[in-house]
Amino acid sequence: MDYDVIVVGAGHAGCEAAYVASTIGLKTCLVTIHLETIAQMSCNPAIGGLAKGQLVREIDALGGLMGRLADETGIQFRLLNSSRGGAVQAPRAQSDKALYRLTMKKWLEDTPNLTLFQGIVSKILTKSNAAVGIETLDGYKLRSRAVIVTPGTFLNGLIHIGLQSYPAGRANEPPSILLSQNMKSLGLETFRLKTGTPMRLHKNSIDWTGFTPQPGDKIPVPFSYRTKKPLKNRVVCHIGYTNSKTHEIIRQNLSFSPLYGGKITGIGPRYCPSIEDKVVKFPQRHRHQFFLEPEGLDTSEIYVNGLSSSLPLDVQEKLLASIPGLDKAKILRPAYGIEYDAILPTQLLPTLETRSIANLYLAGQINGTSGYEEASAQGLMAGINAALKIQEKSPFILCRNEAYIAVLIDDLISRGIEEPYRLFTSRAEYRLNLRMDNADKRLTEYGYALGLVNSEDYKDYQEKQARLKRVMFFLEKKKFPVENGESISLKDFLKKPEGKWENVIEYVPSDMFLTDEEKRFCESEIKYEGYIKKQEKEIARITKLDGEKIPRGIAYTNVPGLTREVIEKLEISSPRTIGEAKKIPGVTPASIINLHVAISIHRKQKAKNVSRGTQKRNRNQKRK
Amino acid sequence: MLDDTIIAVSTPLGFGGLGVVRISGHSALPIAKKIFHPKKTRQKIPSRHPVLGYLLDSSSNERFEEAYLTFFPKPHTYTRENLVEISCHGSPVILEEVVRLGIKAGARHANPGEFTLRAYLHGRLDILQAEAINDLITAASFKQAKISFRQLDGSLSKTTTVLRQHIIQLLSQIEASIEFPDEGLSISPKMIAKTLQRAENTVTKLISSYDLGKSLSEGLLLTITGRANVGKSTLFNTLLEKDRAIVTPFPGTTRDYLQETIKIRDALFTLTDMAGIDTPAHPVEKEGIKRGKKLASAGDGILLVFDASRKESHEDLILLEKFQDKKVLLLFNKSDLPVKMDRKKIKHLHKNIPSLTISALKGTNLDRLKEMIFTQFVPTQTGSEEVVLHLRQKLLFEDILSCLKKTKRMLEEGYSEEIYVEEIRKIIPIVGQLTGEIQDEDVLTRIFNRFCVGK
Repeated sequence: MDYDVIVVGAGHAGCEAAYVASTIGLKTCLVTIHLETIAQMSCNPAIGGLAKGQLVREIDALGGLMGRLADETGIQFRLLNSSRGGAVQAPRAQSDKALYRLTMKKWLEDTPNLTLFQGIVSKILTKSNAAVGIETLDGYKLRSRAVIVTPGTFLNGLIHIGLQSYPAGRANEPPSILLSQNMKSLGLETFRLKTGTPMRLHKNSIDWTGFTPQPGDKIPVPFSYRTKKPLKNRVVCHIGYTNSKTHEIIRQNLSFSPLYGGKITGIGPRYCPSIEDKVVKFPQRHRHQFFLEPEGLDTSEIYVNGLSSSLPLDVQEKLLASIPGLDKAKILRPAYGIEYDAILPTQLLPTLETRSIANLYLAGQINGTSGYEEASAQGLMAGINAALKIQEKSPFILCRNEAYIAVLIDDLISRGIEEPYRLFTSRAEYRLNLRMDNADKRLTEYGYALGLVNSEDYKDYQEKQARLKRVMFFLEKKKFPVENGESISLKDFLKKPEGKWENVIEYVPSDMFLTDEEKRFCESEIKYEGYIKKQEKEIARITKLDGEKIPRGIAYTNVPGLTREVIEKLEISSPRTIGEAKKIPGVTPASIINLHVAISIHRKQKAKNVSRGTQKRNRNQKRK
Repeated sequence: MLDDTIIAVSTPLGFGGLGVVRISGHSALPIAKKIFHPKKTRQKIPSRHPVLGYLLDSSSNERFEEAYLTFFPKPHTYTRENLVEISCHGSPVILEEVVRLGIKAGARHANPGEFTLRAYLHGRLDILQAEAINDLITAASFKQAKISFRQLDGSLSKTTTVLRQHIIQLLSQIEASIEFPDEGLSISPKMIAKTLQRAENTVTKLISSYDLGKSLSEGLLLTITGRANVGKSTLFNTLLEKDRAIVTPFPGTTRDYLQETIKIRDALFTLTDMAGIDTPAHPVEKEGIKRGKKLASAGDGILLVFDASRKESHEDLILLEKFQDKKVLLLFNKSDLPVKMDRKKIKHLHKNIPSLTISALKGTNLDRLKEMIFTQFVPTQTGSEEVVLHLRQKLLFEDILSCLKKTKRMLEEGYSEEIYVEEIRKIIPIVGQLTGEIQDEDVLTRIFNRFCVGK
């Protein structure tokens, strides 16, 4: 055995997976096509955003790298939705792309138990339906107990610019065609997805006067609970708009679009449409917003967020020329669309291990997601679970009410997807509890138990929690006078929509002064208290239902309202409880209801039979 | 489990010209063949075409009845299962024998409502429709039957679906502004309030229609009240058109209360005759008054009776005050005697209470009285034709209403979107309970279809 864990691909998912597996103590190898492109940000130079920012905090609380790295390499920080409540606030930061890459590489190189290795993986080695290693293009074989595959858009990648197309995993990088074929031959069902990236412009070729600056926050909010050093904004982004002339150019050239010309068959994300998509789908709009984002401090490249496109280069040039300020813009890298293979995520277990091949884990875009954060979260979970399985420990599976990570994975494996999946806060049933301000409270204990959070950070965490508990108790007890001689507790005041920490600070002793981070936590806990309590009750009720046993040897064919497909799935997985049945991909909520009704009827009938039986027995006894 | 075949008499109990036995389930036809032989032996049983034949007891091979059998193959049947209908003479003895033989041949006696339950479980009906069928069968009046039929047709489902769409649209607008803060998608509180109000109006209308539904199915509870010896029991008997209550010239004759149901036009009313509200002479009477008062306050309306042949008393006026905020119809009784009461004054004092002068004894103004009872107590329907017939439905609509009201209040008080949106989010599963469907992706789909989002 060469390694315990081999991770294929060193993108956001792969890095996280390799880091946690080796930190847990397993001998790990991270194989990548180019050591230069470890943790490459293939698209926008930013981390975070709504739901994604919360996700990064969860990764951080569990001991992952993304939060710390985003802080370390961040060049502009913004807290989104700062005018709204804590549950929908999220950090977002522009990162220096090159620095992000290099820092991740350095951190991984310094991680004990972890080996980096450059190679193109062409095959997953298997033995009686279990992964046992990998083979590279040059025939080199590595053996391991688990394989985590995180190939991003590289699986059978095909880049489109206009009607031209060429096989590539990312611009000018070789795709993984053999690996894709191999995955299919292992019996994994694949489908085609599409995504795209905008052009990068030279900053000196842009007339900046025409654009509205969008500066960072005065007080930058970090991603990581462990980031102690103050963060600094070093760049400014800018907002601009397309115009009807731009749209006219796009309309005239739609026949050169691979998407509208029918060349692209993969499904693209609706929430991240290309500019030609926007123009076609929303013809009533006279302009579309875009953002000019610097790709780093030591580069002149500007990322044009919002103008992703797969139109030919000359059309890209023409449409830029129609926008004042970009009329002389020089394209350094053209925008392009890319199609790639993804695996139907319903073939995965909640641990991200494939159902059909044991010890083979998939994470990131291969599971149909988009976004660095979504990839990172899956990599983390796949790494943890691969390690736990090797150590013969029980798997680490989170619930939808405790983390966005769980919402993401549960959505993927139980609902499947039709377009690249992005996390949204509205996908969470318990949004008010899944916040950036309490991710540490929700998950640090797990991270520590897994050995991913070190004891120093854990001590900090415990001290913070103890202090917050004391403050919450104080806020509940301490009253302050309001009009007509009455008084209310600070907590009740803060519960009101207008209640702000600033208003009560004069009543708070100085040893209870809170950091901004802690203030956000207290305010959220107080403002959402009623809802969170109600939701906890609901969760308890659902947990009870989920625990309901399915009688052994139940004939699913006799349960009314189940489709043949669902019956087949239930028969194969033979779930022991309703909760387990729910988790089986393809088993719909409606079929769960029908199953539940059938079980209740079954139980009632059984009870009747039993009581009839007893009656008979009684009668017999009487006769005797 | 629903893997067996069920049988039951489908026509009402009792003697009728015709009776129908239904068999539903996988083995409906094989079971039917064991108890039914076509007249033309060897005749195959066609689909959806009645076949004449004999019912026979297989143990004795004895023919005992001539009958028609019709076979409806699945899935286009009421239960979406194989269905057999046997029509024969409507004698309870014969029908019971058919069912007995059917059970002997392998069927199981259906539980109440099981045919409809199967239809629901097979996705043939949604919950609203399943409930409507039960109402159609048990309809107390033609109007109720019509309403039930409309629900079966899905019209309440449709209104509910439209309501759901409005909620989802609102939700998607708010969620879009939360999820994409940089895209300038905010929706003004004024617009939100407007949508909430529109939804609230729809729901309020549906909830108030429950009273109409109730008057049509269960009957409205009307209490006849007034001082002792004003002629309450006479009025009760007159409206019933029979001598139900004992009537004497002595005050305090009615001690306990009596209840009977009458029908005026399409509506049912449960009339309660209670002891007069005076100082009781007897403990039984006291208890009667107590219970009667409770009924009056819990009921749907009050017929307040005054004795017009006497001068108005202080007690009369107190009663009038007392029932001020209830639905009251004031009756000046005993118009067959010389009228001494100052009706003008009383009417002037309580302009909003409708009144009528009658003689319960002679039946004077009786038709007018029935007319007034109908118009005063049966809720009028404006606009929407959908009627909420079930308490279950009404309670769910009330849940929706309380969410809508709470959202509106929180909006006014300046709560942040993510908090009040929780109230709106709650509505969708409630609507799901009304129509029986659960869908999650709708809000996001709506966002992507309506807004051009995405960096």
